[in-house]
Amino acid sequence: MAADGRGYGERQTQLLCALVAGRDFPEGFEPDKAEDASRSLRRKRGRAVARAWPALALALGSRFDERFDAFARGAAAPALGDALADGLAFARTLDRSDLSDDARVELLFARARLAHRAGVPRWRRSPFLGAIALHDPRRLLVVVRIPPGGTRSLVLRAGRV
Amino acid sequence: MTAAHATTRRLGLGIGWRPETDVLAARPELGFVEAVAESVDPRRPPAGLLAARERGMAVIPHGISLSLGGAERPDGRRLAHLAAVAEGLGSPLVSEHIAFVRAGGQEAGHLLPVPRTREALEIMTENVAIAQRALPVPLALEHVATLVEWPGAEYDEATFVSELLDRTGALLLLDLSNLYANAHNHGYDAREALTRFPLERIAYVHVGGGYYRDGVYHDTHGDPVVPGVLELVEELFALTDAPGLLLERDDNFPTGQELANELDAMAEAARRGRERRGGTDGG
Repeated sequence: MAADGRGYGERQTQLLCALVAGRDFPEGFEPDKAEDASRSLRRKRGRAVARAWPALALALGSRFDERFDAFARGAAAPALGDALADGLAFARTLDRSDLSDDARVELLFARARLAHRAGVPRWRRSPFLGAIALHDPRRLLVVVRIPPGGTRSLVLRAGRV
Repeated sequence: MTAAHATTRRLGLGIGWRPETDVLAARPELGFVEAVAESVDPRRPPAGLLAARERGMAVIPHGISLSLGGAERPDGRRLAHLAAVAEGLGSPLVSEHIAFVRAGGQEAGHLLPVPRTREALEIMTENVAIAQRALPVPLALEHVATLVEWPGAEYDEATFVSELLDRTGALLLLDLSNLYANAHNHGYDAREALTRFPLERIAYVHVGGGYYRDGVYHDTHGDPVVPGVLELVEELFALTDAPGLLLERDDNFPTGQELANELDAMAEAARRGRERRGGTDGG
């Protein structure tokens, strides 16, 4: 390892944690630019989550940016699963009343693939079964996934057995 | 190391390949595309990229995860993947970044700037050499846009990039949007800095869009190319003949016509630059 490799790595860790995990910036970084940079990264994350979760973005509408920014300040992007996992962690912070039916469907299909244990996302390896009630018309959406297979869904209408 | 310019393959006009830009990749005047290497399975490349190859276009894998500016040595598996993509697509070169993307076991999810110090230069030179040994084709390095700068810089950006490429023999992926963004946000003259980049090492050039917000320029690649960046395209071609000029668009895709207009504007800026230089080079 050339030069003072360890100090070099430590300083980079400090900068990274300041930018993506809300830690303090090391000495010597201009505060205004530092905040600009952090906010820019949160917005970039937000754009990626909005792309991966279009129904959620639509459901939140103009509140999406502010809500995601508040979430992102306190939570670094996940190591696994990219925008799908990031969006899942974000969706878990929202109230049910924030979500449209489409967004709840989107969330259910995401949960079929990704589990969230102790704040850490993991690809599901065990079978998943989930159901949500939808409106207009009233129906039940049942989602099943048996890894490594894909996700299957079934819609049960009210009045039909 | 001798300059690479004379032997660098002429690529022409290009577009960053994304599923959304696939339809544009069929335009007859396009000579190459660039694809994010990490998104490509070398055993099963996307049909759009294979079609581009069929049409005789070069495909350049663009890596975003090697973290060549980081304290750790580049990961052998990531290098093997990048090499496999290059081989699978018959690429004339690959590109990566003068940046780090992970530290202390955490991923940044973004290209973060490297301190412009002698120490960084030594570490990056070693990492780049390791990468070059693992790759079957030449490596081009792209400098990044950043809103924050490390304190204690010993070089400015043009000099740092020149030093690094001189020590490693790597090629330059000149990103005019990144140069524009950094010059605007950190208060220096982009045109003047451009003249001090190692232009003879250019493999190809990136142009992407962005926007201003509260006086700060954000290089998003999700917005139209601003006039200041097109001016830099003209300046560049007035200085030298760059072998390739590529439009990057990652987000917020407009209509095919709007993207086509962006390509036309870039080609026109390059043409004006060539005219000023009195160049008669093709492509």
